[in-house]
Amino acid sequence: MALVHLDALYHVALRLTRNRAEAEDVVQEALLRAFRNFRRFNPGTNCRAWLFTIMRNVFLNRVRREGREVLEGEGTLITAGVDSATAPEPAGNAEEEFFQTIVHGDVDRALQTLPLVFREAVILADLEGLSYREVADVLGCPVGTIMSRLSRGRHLLRQALSQFAREHGYLKDAE
Amino acid sequence: MNCQEFEACLHPYVDGELAVGETSAADVHAAECGRCADLARRERRFRQLLRRQPREAASAELRARLVSRIHRERRRAILRPWLVAPAIAAASAAIVVAVLISAWRSPSPLIGELIDKHIAYAQIERPAELASADPTEIEMWFRQRAGLRVTVPDYSPSGIRLVGARLAETHEQKAAYLFYEKGRTLLSVFMLPIPTGDVALAGARVSYRGHAYVTYEQKGYRTVSWSDGRAVFGLVSMLDYEALLECADRLRAERATQTRL
Repeated sequence: MALVHLDALYHVALRLTRNRAEAEDVVQEALLRAFRNFRRFNPGTNCRAWLFTIMRNVFLNRVRREGREVLEGEGTLITAGVDSATAPEPAGNAEEEFFQTIVHGDVDRALQTLPLVFREAVILADLEGLSYREVADVLGCPVGTIMSRLSRGRHLLRQALSQFAREHGYLKDAE
Repeated sequence: MNCQEFEACLHPYVDGELAVGETSAADVHAAECGRCADLARRERRFRQLLRRQPREAASAELRARLVSRIHRERRRAILRPWLVAPAIAAASAAIVVAVLISAWRSPSPLIGELIDKHIAYAQIERPAELASADPTEIEMWFRQRAGLRVTVPDYSPSGIRLVGARLAETHEQKAAYLFYEKGRTLLSVFMLPIPTGDVALAGARVSYRGHAYVTYEQKGYRTVSWSDGRAVFGLVSMLDYEALLECADRLRAERATQTRL
């Protein structure tokens, strides 16, 4: 049952940690924890969401232990790599160009510029296809909060992608 | 619904998270308002972009390590239930292990048969009925001998050379069997004209380059199998999973091109 979700867990871990060895460690620790605490799993409920929840706790514990990255609040503006003031979202025809200019690896690179609080919501909902309710369960917050995190996260992601397109020389500055 | 209301619910609308009544109201508005319809289209396209990101499968080593760790944990839980936790812990642990490893213990009869054939032919000096390194010759041979339309993939860029083919009797029907070699390691490629649903491919499900495969390992022989709806494909070898999945992916791609022709 749990190993059926191994690939999904690994995808999320890889995108959270950005490192294969660390992703494997996180997944392994999470699945062993799930195994030891299986009696706490409520049969009939969502096993995948339960496993994601455990894995996120494992990941956050490691992050806190090593003092690398913290869950910044929703009001926090992105700082790494993307300056939101100079990276407007494309509109109209530019939007078409925007999709055509995204090259392999851009989305992962753009995700990495997102603060963790938005990144994890976008990864779970948009890359893994979890429902708002499932994401809310995994992240332990109300559905309304998830909706605002997703909205903000997607906005930041588009901005980052536009900026990369500009760096690749595909999009011109909107002036 | 007006434009302002539509924009407010744009994300849940595109995500399919609105209630039925709200969805209908948004549909009606989008049908009347080009600008809002365009907003929704752009959002959908962005979701598609995100959903289509490459997904790297967990390695076979990680799977193997987990199975072995869980085995160890299970033994510990069974040996010391009265010390560490109530008996229920051991019972639930046993259930999880059973679920986790059941896929590894029993291959489907078909996969077992393919592994047995591979082992048997690996013992023979010249296993092929038709010794040939020419894909076209082999394809013609299968067509004439058994009316089978076979795709003979080219694995030479990966250093895997084609050595020949034979007709195999598998699952009570004729199947194409291709032989490849990497160094001295034999790779068997089976193609069976069996529609989906007629066979169960037991094993661990993995996703590689967006396609689903079933893997199973026995006595050091690894298998990767899948079905495309009309035929079942099985690769058996001592090569690692990465090499096998790469071969599977190439076969799938070459077959897709041929089918279109």
